Amino acid sequence: MESIQYAVFLLGAVFCAYRAIVAKRILSATIYLACISALVSAVIYLLGAPQVAVMELSVGAGLVTVLLVYALSVVGDDALDPASVIPKPLAFGVVGLVVVLLGLMVYPAIQTNLEKGSTALANVLWQNRVLDVWIQIALIFSGVMGVLGLLSEQTSSKNKELPQ
Amino acid sequence: MTFTPLNIILLGVIALLGVGFYGLLITRNLIKVVLVLQILIKAVVLALILAGKMSGNLGLGQSSAATVIVADTIVAVVGLALGVQVRRRFGTLDLPKISTLRG
Amino acid sequence: MAGIFVALVIALPWLGAIAVWLVGNERPRLQHTLAVAFSVLTGIISLVLLAFASSEPAIQVPLGKAFGDLTFVPDGLAVSLTAIAAVVGSLAVIFSVDYMRGDEQLGRYYFLVLFFIGAMTGLVLSGNLLFTFFFWEITALCSYSLISFYNDDPKAVAAGIKALIITQVGGVGLLAGTLIAFTSLGSFQISDLLAKASSMPSTALSLIAFSFLIAAAAKSAQFPFHVWLPDAMEAPTPVSALIHAATMVNAGIYLLARFYPAFEFVPAWKISVILVGMISALIAALSALTASDLKRVLAYSTISQLGYMVYAIGAGGVLASQFHLLSHAVFKALLFLAAGSVIHSVGTRDLRRMGRLGNRMPFVRNAFIVGALALMGVPILNGFWSKELILEIGFENSPIWAYAVMLLSAGLTAFYTFRMVWLVFFGRERDYLHVHPAGPAMKVSLGILAAGAFITWLFFGGLNGLLSSTLPFHELERESLLEMVNAILSAPATWLALLIVAVGFGISWMRARSYALFGGGWLNPFVESSFGFESLNRLIVRGTYRIAEGLSLTQTGELNWNILGIISALLVVLIALWVWLGA
Repeated sequence: MESIQYAVFLLGAVFCAYRAIVAKRILSATIYLACISALVSAVIYLLGAPQVAVMELSVGAGLVTVLLVYALSVVGDDALDPASVIPKPLAFGVVGLVVVLLGLMVYPAIQTNLEKGSTALANVLWQNRVLDVWIQIALIFSGVMGVLGLLSEQTSSKNKELPQ
Repeated sequence: MTFTPLNIILLGVIALLGVGFYGLLITRNLIKVVLVLQILIKAVVLALILAGKMSGNLGLGQSSAATVIVADTIVAVVGLALGVQVRRRFGTLDLPKISTLRG
Repeated sequence: MAGIFVALVIALPWLGAIAVWLVGNERPRLQHTLAVAFSVLTGIISLVLLAFASSEPAIQVPLGKAFGDLTFVPDGLAVSLTAIAAVVGSLAVIFSVDYMRGDEQLGRYYFLVLFFIGAMTGLVLSGNLLFTFFFWEITALCSYSLISFYNDDPKAVAAGIKALIITQVGGVGLLAGTLIAFTSLGSFQISDLLAKASSMPSTALSLIAFSFLIAAAAKSAQFPFHVWLPDAMEAPTPVSALIHAATMVNAGIYLLARFYPAFEFVPAWKISVILVGMISALIAALSALTASDLKRVLAYSTISQLGYMVYAIGAGGVLASQFHLLSHAVFKALLFLAAGSVIHSVGTRDLRRMGRLGNRMPFVRNAFIVGALALMGVPILNGFWSKELILEIGFENSPIWAYAVMLLSAGLTAFYTFRMVWLVFFGRERDYLHVHPAGPAMKVSLGILAAGAFITWLFFGGLNGLLSSTLPFHELERESLLEMVNAILSAPATWLALLIVAVGFGISWMRARSYALFGGGWLNPFVESSFGFESLNRLIVRGTYRIAEGLSLTQTGELNWNILGIISALLVVLIALWVWLGA
């Protein structure tokens, strides 16, 4: 019974991913991305990680969607050229091989017994992985600086007159 | 070939990864690249949670997944800002046209 | 305590490099001041570090199982080379204040010089082979950048590329030896390699020994990798003095000296080392006889003297080689800096256009003569003691024909040195050249180095004590200064060598009288083609360029193709794993 739930959700996610990639307009792709977020978030919740599920939903279906829409509004949603640089059969072949190999190698490694209870996220995050939190803070800081630097208007830097 | 829930999820992760790689190879638009990267990250998050569940240490899996989500959001933000600037300078977002860094 | 000094002596030059770069080229005086301050401070700390030498690692940072520990071991070999690098480095930087005055890219120059000094000290202090390789590569990078410093001059750029390619061959040798050692021993630590050398499988040990010999020969411009050093004289002269005379080329000698106890008993290794040193010494001395560029003569002289050091190590005289390294660093830097003063003031490097400059540049002339006498091996100066020590050890431990060749080279050294001095400072004035006297910063460096040429041999006792007490694997005997003096003065080999030197000097003086000092005509074609190696060289350089151009086709710059490359690499890894795991 559980397996069917997971299978449905994940099949839906893969289908939405494919539609997002072959979409003709980026806006459609963004909507499909939000759907993927929702489905994956549901799977994560069912696995027993509610906090991350909420994070994934709010960030994936909320923040990223808004960001993409904002970027599209600035840039303009031109129709995409469907021809791809790399011939499609080649891409399909390489990726197909990778997927098959990965599947064959990793599949037997799954242990079928679902383990005992888990430790709470809050404990782990703030005690064992404090370094992670600091790194995230640094990342956010640098991301903000990066965006500010990128999106600010060009200030003419050091207009040097030729020394004469 | 046992189809326990965890196996299904593993297949789902690999499938999402495959679709994501295919998308990266196919797409020609810079914004679309950022979008496809998001798909790949979702696969990664799912894989991390799965690993946490398998080893019993879901707390660690969740904190790693949280870190990855934060990092990938910042990647998306900065990537989109870069895309906006590229559009301003080159006038187009078509990848073959903006690839001026030749070997 | 030692740990702090070790960290400072590596980090200070690097901090200075960043500081000079950040100051920017609009404030050259501040750049000069900062560079001099940082390098002098490094020199002082390196001298203090001499007192703290020990064979225990001063800094030990565990880096996980993959790389072992990051260790820095301030033993005698390391701190003596550190002191040489830092002190000569600071003198070269002081000299640069006058030499590079008015240059537009001062920031880049000082950055590279200071970066190099830090990397050199890191190289000799490192106790982890992987980090030795890392610092080795940094010095190669700085050397290439500084040789091509005047990068609108195609000759300089070509010389830089040549130096880079040849020294990288050495780098590959070092890396290969390191990796083979790791697979045999499981550790990158130098002390482990030295301790367990006798229990390693003999093929592995031989491979490592000869790889390290190739690395040392390429870095120290020894036969057959000697062709890059004469061309590297396109670099600004303080760079030539620092990198190509006193420090970087000593890295090869350091490598051989450091690993001598491990490779001593590898069959045919010692005789190969002796051969490499001997051939380099001979053909470089022959080439110096006919060179018409002042710095090229000095470059050939460097190759020749390094050949002496390599020969000494092959004959088992690690202490003698380090002693000669110290003397050579001092007098060769002195010669280069004095030549730099001359070149800077008259604007040419061509010996055929100089002449009788001694009257107009008395200070530089005197400094140059001191260096030349030390190079020839005239008694009282430091070159005499160290060269005689090498010849004495060579007489006892090496085949007689090798000793005879080295003796002949000593005579040739006297010949070409006298020729060089005469052509620049005495004789007839051959061209009208404008001369301005050396600046104060130049005089300071020259004066200190000239004094050093008289004094450094007195440190023999200290050097001996330092090396023998902190190098547990080398089994050096303790010999005091007086014992060494006594041994040298009483050995018949010494008087034989002095006789040869006098003969060389005499022949040169007689030919000077007839102004026929432009070199042996019949020797010229051999020297021009570097005894046949120039063509091999050109082949290698051209081949590398063609491969690089061919490979650049894969750098399409398009994202999709790059990602295809990445995914293909992933596919290859997966296939390899699948085959390996036998799934």
